[in-house]
Amino acid sequence: MSHPPDHGVSRRSFLKGSAVAGIATTGITAATQAAAGPPVPESFAPGEHEITLSVNGQPKKVKVETRTTLLDALRDRMDLTGAKKICDRGACGGCTVLVDGAPANSCLMLAMDAVGSELRTVEGLADGDKVHPLVENIVKCDGLQCGFCTPGMVMSSIACLEKRGKPTPAEMRQDLSGNLCRCGTYGRVMEAIDQTAQQMGGNK
Amino acid sequence: MSSANETPRETEITVGYRALSPAQKDRLRKITVNPQDGDAPPWDANTDYQTVGTDVDRIDGLAKATGRAKYAYDINFPDLQQAMILRAPIAKGKLKSLDLDAARAMPGISAVVPLKKEGNKIRFVGDAIAAVSGTTLDVVRDAIEKIRAEYDAEQHNVDYLMDEDAPLLDGKGEVDDEWPESSKIDTALGEAAHTHSATYRTEVQTHSSLETHGNVCKWDGNHLDVWASTQATFGVRGELARALGNRDIKVESVDVHSEFVGGGFGSKFSAGIEGFACALLAREANKPVKLMLDRFEEHTTAGNRPSSLMQVRGGLDKDGNLTAWDWRSFGGCGYNGRGGSVRYPNYYMKNAATRRKHKDIACDTDPARSMRAPGYPQGWFGAEMFLDELAAKAGIDPLQFRLQNDVEDMRQDQWQFAAEKFGWQKARAQKAASDDKKERYVTGVGCASARWGQLGRHGGRRQRYGITCRIHPNGMVEARSGAQDIGTGLKTVLSMLTAEELGVPAARVKGMTGHTADPIGPGSGGSTTTPSIAPAVRHAAFLAKNELIALVAKHLGVPEADVTCAGDKVGTKTAKLDWLDACKLIGPNPLEVRGERYPNYRDKPFHPGVCGAQFAEVRVDTWTGEVQVTRMFGIQDCGLVIAKKLAESQVLGAMIQGVSYAVHEQRIMDQRSGRMLNGDFLRYKIAGTKDLPELECHMHSVANGHNNVGAAGLGEPPSTATAAAIGNAVFHAIGAPVRHLPITPEKVLEALASR
Repeated sequence: MSHPPDHGVSRRSFLKGSAVAGIATTGITAATQAAAGPPVPESFAPGEHEITLSVNGQPKKVKVETRTTLLDALRDRMDLTGAKKICDRGACGGCTVLVDGAPANSCLMLAMDAVGSELRTVEGLADGDKVHPLVENIVKCDGLQCGFCTPGMVMSSIACLEKRGKPTPAEMRQDLSGNLCRCGTYGRVMEAIDQTAQQMGGNK
Repeated sequence: MSSANETPRETEITVGYRALSPAQKDRLRKITVNPQDGDAPPWDANTDYQTVGTDVDRIDGLAKATGRAKYAYDINFPDLQQAMILRAPIAKGKLKSLDLDAARAMPGISAVVPLKKEGNKIRFVGDAIAAVSGTTLDVVRDAIEKIRAEYDAEQHNVDYLMDEDAPLLDGKGEVDDEWPESSKIDTALGEAAHTHSATYRTEVQTHSSLETHGNVCKWDGNHLDVWASTQATFGVRGELARALGNRDIKVESVDVHSEFVGGGFGSKFSAGIEGFACALLAREANKPVKLMLDRFEEHTTAGNRPSSLMQVRGGLDKDGNLTAWDWRSFGGCGYNGRGGSVRYPNYYMKNAATRRKHKDIACDTDPARSMRAPGYPQGWFGAEMFLDELAAKAGIDPLQFRLQNDVEDMRQDQWQFAAEKFGWQKARAQKAASDDKKERYVTGVGCASARWGQLGRHGGRRQRYGITCRIHPNGMVEARSGAQDIGTGLKTVLSMLTAEELGVPAARVKGMTGHTADPIGPGSGGSTTTPSIAPAVRHAAFLAKNELIALVAKHLGVPEADVTCAGDKVGTKTAKLDWLDACKLIGPNPLEVRGERYPNYRDKPFHPGVCGAQFAEVRVDTWTGEVQVTRMFGIQDCGLVIAKKLAESQVLGAMIQGVSYAVHEQRIMDQRSGRMLNGDFLRYKIAGTKDLPELECHMHSVANGHNNVGAAGLGEPPSTATAAAIGNAVFHAIGAPVRHLPITPEKVLEALASR
């Protein structure tokens, strides 16, 4: 799985750093609107800060702490519960979203690091009754059982299709290797990817 | 001949199945059954199904695949509180002191509840101490760190083989103790032409449901709504009502909602301490609370398939018949010392002198919970592999051995059909002709049987299971059960059975599950849900159909007995209404009936359980010891196959789970700290896409004749065979047995060195 652009802080190093910062600065939470681009908080003091995330093509304001993960921001603050919290350690792919087109574990990314990126979640694949052909094929091939891994599996599959057009079975295995499914749906998910690639004529 | 709209008193039906291949024969016979008054007439092998057995899409598939489906984990409210549990860091001892005040004073905290009192026993690492709720998980975590708990630790043991009740093992892992005397067994072994003795082991497997255990609780006065990740909605309701019980809170005061459940595999029958804690927090906070376990808690406090040790000896006569079978097994259990029982395939031993002993051994860990065919995959691994080793000693092909000793007729057909499909003879012949001892990669094939016996139950102690069927004036139909669909496809089964009875396309019927306001159903365990509920679904649809027929008959002025529902139409041969026009006669309120689950017929069915067989091919890297399962074929019966595509998914999924059990899964405990070392998904490895073999399965539909539908359970049976078939394939590939699951590279290299 490829990674989103590095904004300079990992979740772990940031958690360490924020404790120190918390002692040094208190009570400054005012955010100012930058002249261009998304609003950026002026400081990273403890407490909540309003940021704007671009989700499925729409700018969304959301209040987060500096330590809030992108996954928690999506699920708990924006009610976008398609991405699932399964392992919370980047080991299962259940929280996969696309960050600037690349699949990322949203549990390993801070919400603030997603400012300025284009985020795509599974909710963006459906517009009323119109859904992405891959989603249709997942259902047609029965590439799901309990369905809890499915949104993550779908997002990794979309990334695979967008990257490769007509992926080979080995490429599918590689691109989905970060997504765990306990019910055992892998084979039928890969069938769905294959059928979608055929229908779309290999167009990325 | 009675009309299809009436209950026959005594009726002859055809049971069994049609030939699996041109080389085989139909196995059909007639039996007489006695349905009870009011029940729908039985379907049988001659029923001409329109929907049942076809490939209908999973009806909640789109909701799941678009992320719209709301699991318990996904329930949000504007003032929702998040919660966590403080867990004991010691494996055995007592809680010495507990101070929650500092946690209560932390910002954003809405409730703190103790779950143990000072002096209470600590039974394993992860035992629940106290729970905290607050505005976000981050502030809750901050508060949890402020709880001051002190413990009096005692000496613990987390390895059952260190217990004094455990058998002694020699350096090769074989049991060192003498077998107790038995003249029956000793005589049989003495007379056998070939004998063998060996010890097999399996390790603890965690259920690893992807949605962890947990709930959202919301009080309204004395009424509690619970969104639960459970495989027993009614069980959770009763348990919480009892646990919280006072004169104001009764079973009716609790509503459980589990429309979508992210897996269970046997671990999610109880509300658990997490459910109880969530309800208490929500009451104290006076706000809705969500408490979901994290992955470490899920691995260490929410159950597991226990480990096992199986010592076997047995003998064959000169013709290859099994004549002696001696078995003693030990289960490596949690602190309560229960649930480690191991079963073996007894259909090979019908003509043998047998003895079976089992002992459960307790240690200071999280207790076992039922996991997909409890006791079977362990025992099948030990038994099926022992049989292959014994057959090898006698120079008999493993398939030939099974054809000769397996007394179940249905599986005789399955063995032959599956062996043909898999290419068994060719694979065995190729291996025999090759001299691959010097090759880096070697292949092998193995097989094992599958078995389970669940034909469904009619209800709990007080109440029969039921189904609500509603036909709306606009032609839409609902079939509702309060039982849960944990991913098996129950909603789709409700829809398809109802559609079949009403003669409409499945798309007209919405199956709904998981709300305890709907009629009672079983917990989803032991493959009971579909066989228990299906006859009630049919009965409900049958009653609804007859009410609609009465309306149509009156409207058309024809006798009710002449009216049928078929092809999306209702009427006689000459006068028919389209379904939508017929439904316009209903109204303004929908036509609503409640069907019930009658007991299974007292008459003997075609088969008392279900049968299956699986074949596996592996490739072993003799340099690294890595085992890749390259190909599998499975055949599985489940009585009447209703939703074919979904049934296949369950069988294929069981095979993948079996691959995972065979080569990866193992809970690793640290004896010093008493803690699980790999309680995550980084180091507790479950099979992923790169472990996926080329998989194929065949659903073997059987008219079983035990009730009006004749469905049998499917969750457990295919999971009994897989690890055993893989173990046998590895034995075939490298010529030495690896008798200890998981079959890791290290064990393969050891086995290779021992050749």
